[in-house]
Formats: sequence, structure tokens, C-alpha cells
Amino acid sequence: MRSDAAGGSAPKSPIPTSPIIEMKGVSKGFGGGSGERVAALQDINLELTEGTFTAILGPSGCGKTTLLRLIDGLVQPDAGTVRVAGHPPRPGPEMGFVFQSFRLIPWRTVRGNVEFALVEAIADPAERRRRADRYIERVGLSRFADAYPRQLSGGMKQRAALARALACEPEILLLDEPFASLDAQTRELMQVELMRLWSERKSLAVFVTHSVDEAIFLADQIVLMGPRPGRILEVIDVNLTRPRWSYDVRAEPRFAELRQYLWERIRALVLADPQSDFYGRDEVQSVSTGS
Amino acid sequence: MKIILYRIGVLVALVLIWWFFSTIVERQLIPSPLATFHAAERLIAEGRLSTALLDTLTIYIGGYGAAILIGIPLGLLMGTARTLGKTLDIFIYALSATPRVAFIPLIIVFLGLGASAKTFIVFLGAVMPILINAYAGALNSDEDLVEMARSVGASKSRIFREIVLPGALPFAITGLRIGATIGLINTVVAELYTAVRGLGGLLAIYGNTFRMAEYFVIVFTLAFIGVLVTTALRLLEMRLERWRGNGA
Ligand SMILES: Nc1ncnc2c1ncn2[C@@H]1O[C@H](COP(=O)(O)OP(=O)(O)OP(=O)(O)O)[C@@H](O)[C@H]1O
Ligand SMILES: [Mg+2]
Repeated sequence: MRSDAAGGSAPKSPIPTSPIIEMKGVSKGFGGGSGERVAALQDINLELTEGTFTAILGPSGCGKTTLLRLIDGLVQPDAGTVRVAGHPPRPGPEMGFVFQSFRLIPWRTVRGNVEFALVEAIADPAERRRRADRYIERVGLSRFADAYPRQLSGGMKQRAALARALACEPEILLLDEPFASLDAQTRELMQVELMRLWSERKSLAVFVTHSVDEAIFLADQIVLMGPRPGRILEVIDVNLTRPRWSYDVRAEPRFAELRQYLWERIRALVLADPQSDFYGRDEVQSVSTGS
Repeated sequence: MKIILYRIGVLVALVLIWWFFSTIVERQLIPSPLATFHAAERLIAEGRLSTALLDTLTIYIGGYGAAILIGIPLGLLMGTARTLGKTLDIFIYALSATPRVAFIPLIIVFLGLGASAKTFIVFLGAVMPILINAYAGALNSDEDLVEMARSVGASKSRIFREIVLPGALPFAITGLRIGATIGLINTVVAELYTAVRGLGGLLAIYGNTFRMAEYFVIVFTLAFIGVLVTTALRLLEMRLERWRGNGA
């Protein structure tokens, strides 16, 4: 069935620094037919190289989820090209996707959900189970391996979804606000755990978040997006030493500087967006605290 | 557990009400519970009840079984191959809105008065709700889950088996339940309109001759079949949907 996608047989690009993910002039709209076609993304140009951790930051509705779906090959662009390792992307175990709304199968246990993603990659059921259990352990859900999704809290569901994407040990990890429904403590623990997993494997990660702090803490580069039409405004290098869990990154001057800058930009974007609920509220004083 | 006690309570109350009316209605139009019980003993001893029951069940199971074998796959196919579904569904809805009794003369012309005509009448009644519900179940499949399955590289057939099919199950079982009831009704209707046999046949005979005790025995037998089939379906549903827990 899948001829070139199974991993080993696909030729790696000859030059190591050439981008793994390459988007050129990509546009994507939704709707049409009788209604107006909404441009979700317009003229996206993006190159992501091997082993980088990229955070996508931007207000709601600016096409972040759409961008990930395009990279995974779940939807096709209206214009432009998307290339992953030189080929048009095809969904499969080489790319792991953590969806914004968990998307757990309600009639399968946590283990069953993780195993579901492994069928294509691992033929032997016993081995599949071992792999699933290992990643369930890493997200701290071992006690709930046999629980059904309806028995889990929102945060636990999110960790189950994370385990499912990680278990394939993908080359490319696409994460759509994977920590949004975690409490502050679990969130920090999971951030560090994700960092560890990523640095072990040096896979390529694209991480969508609304949290400025999270983006700075995790990423090598931050892609700032703007709405209507969804577009890339700026790509910012973070330039903070790794591993970042070994020291207090948040105390670094560079951290504060980035945070201040990104905060201002996003605030300006929201206030200038006629579709936003906060359009034109200039009297609100700039608050650079919290995230 | 409590619910069973309550049910027994209601049953006792119903029998009491029945007995009360049997004493006040004239000309023994309503037989007493005791007379009905004796009638049942007689019918069983003579073997009339079992013969009729066998006749009826053969027709019922044949027609209902065929309805399942055709309705479920066709409904799922229509829900999966959306263009096919959209093309055909209007005809299915039209057919299901037409009173099936209207087809009986036509069926008799083609299939006669025997078992095949009866089975077909049962099939025609049961297949519509089964098909329509299986169709709705497949149409209703969770798009987000399907996309998730695509993203892990699951094949079309695996997505169908492991996402669409289990998602359609509650709908399909609802269809089976409605189909079971309509199928039973149509069995009796068929036995009344074609060659008079089976439980429906006995119903006609005892009704026309005012042998109300026997008539009641037949009515209870039919009700009992209905309860049996729906209970079996509910148990099946509970087994298949254990993940929902006790809440559902
Ligand atoms: N399947 C779809 N059908 C119609 N419109 C869609 C679809 N998916 C996205 N859109 C539209 O495209 C735009 C971008 O959506 P997208 O989900 O990519 O935004 P987002 O940046 O992920 O938002 P959020 O931060 O709220 O998750 C929105 O205006 C949305 O309404
Ligand atoms: Mg989104």
C-alpha cells in the first residue's frame, strides 16, 4: 500500500540543512458553494529544518490548525505547494498529530486509543502494547491505561492524545494547543517532558499555542501569525540555551524581552482586527503580565 | 433490582384491573384471568398454540432476518458512499411513508397466499426502519475521529470497521428494535390478509366466533414475543456498548 512512506526506503535529502517542511505560496480557503469562501490562509511561505522546534503563535482564527492539517496532508492547498521531505505530504505514522480537541475514540480504552495509532507501524500486537504502555507511562497515565475517555478529566484526555501521537515515534510532531486544558503544574511538567522526548529524538516539532511564555520556553523559533486572511507576519529566533529545564529560563533578560515584544504585537493585532470582540479598545492599558 | 419489583407490582395491578372489568362487562366479552389461563392450558395441550407459534415465528424470523441482512449493509453503504446515499434516500423515504398494506394485493398477485408472500410482507415492513437508521448512523460518523484515523495512516477499510461502524451501532440497534416491532405487526397483518394461518389466523378465528378467552391467549403470546425480542436486543446493545458504563 504505502510504498515510500514507510521510513527506511524514503531517501533523505542529500543536504542536511535543506528544509524538511517547505511551504511555498500556500493558500487555503473554506466554504464556497452557495456561501462566501473564507480565506483561512493566504500566501504562506515557510521552511522548517530538521531538528527544530517551531512554535506557531497567533490570535484565534488565523489558520494555525489549518496550517498543521496542510502539513499533515489531511487537506490540500488551493494554491501553492507543500513538501515534506521533498514529497507532497501523506498522513501516516511518520507524522504525529495532537489535535486541539483530543479526538479520542470513546469506545476504546486509553491503551486502545494509543494502540490504534500503532497498527500501521507495528505489526506484532504484543510489541504494540508494550510501546503503548511505555508512552502512557511517560505522560503519567499508567493508572488509567484501562479507563475509557469518558472516565478521564480534560487534562488526562489531552495527555492520552499526546501519548498517542508520541507513541509512533514520528519524525515530525504536529501539536495543536496540546497543553491548553492542563492545570499550571501539569502543564509545566508536560512541557519539560515534551522537551526531553524531543531532544532525545531530535524530531521536528510544530507546536501551536496561545501562550507567549510557552512558545518562548519551548521553541527555537516562533512564527507569528495574523488573522483575516491568515498569514505569517514574522519569524522570530528565540536564541536561548538548551536544555532549558536545567536553569531558570524565565529569569533571562532575553525571555523578558521576547515576551514583551510578542505580547505587544498580539495585543495590537487583536485590537486592530475588526472581527475581534476587543476591536478598538485602545483605552485598555498594555499589560505584559500573565499569559 | 428494584425496578423488577415495581414491574411485578404494575403487572399485578393490571391483572386486577383486567379481572375487575371482566366481572362488570356483559356477555363475557372480556374473559376472566382464570378463564384465559384455562384456555391457554387447553390450547397448549391440543398443540394448537405451538403449531401456530411455529408458523408465525417461521414467517417472522424469515422476514425480519432478510430485512437485517439487506437493510444494515445497504444503509451503511448509502451512508458511506455519500453520492449513492443522497441519490437513493428520497426514494427510500417515499417508500417508507407509503402504508405497506397498500402493497399487499400486489404481493398476493405475484407471490400468492403462501409463506413467501407473508415473509415478504414482514420484510417490507421491517427493512425500512432498519435501513434508514443504519444510513443515519453511518452519515452521523464523527468527522473529527475519521480525520484522526486518517492522520495515523489508517486504511479506508480500517476507518470503516473501527470508526464508522462502531459509531453507527446505536443507530443500527434502534433500527433493529423498531424493525422488530413493525415486523411482528406485519406478520399478523400478513396472516390475516393472506392464507389464514399462524397466530394471526387463530386471532381471526377466535375473534369472529367470540371465543374471547382463547383470543386473549393469542394476544398475550404476541405481546410476549415482542417483549422477548426487544429485551434480547437491549441485552445485545448493553454488551456492545459497555464502554458507555451504566449511564446509557
Ligand atoms: N473545515 C472548515 N470549514 C469551514 N471553515 C473552516 C474550516 N476549518 C477552518 N475554517 C475557517 O478557517 C479559519 C482558520 O481556522 P483555524 O481552525 O485554522 O484557526 P486557528 O488559528 O486554529 O484558530 P484557534 O486558535 O481558534 O484554534 C477560521 O476562520 C475558520 O472559521
Ligand atoms: Mg486551532
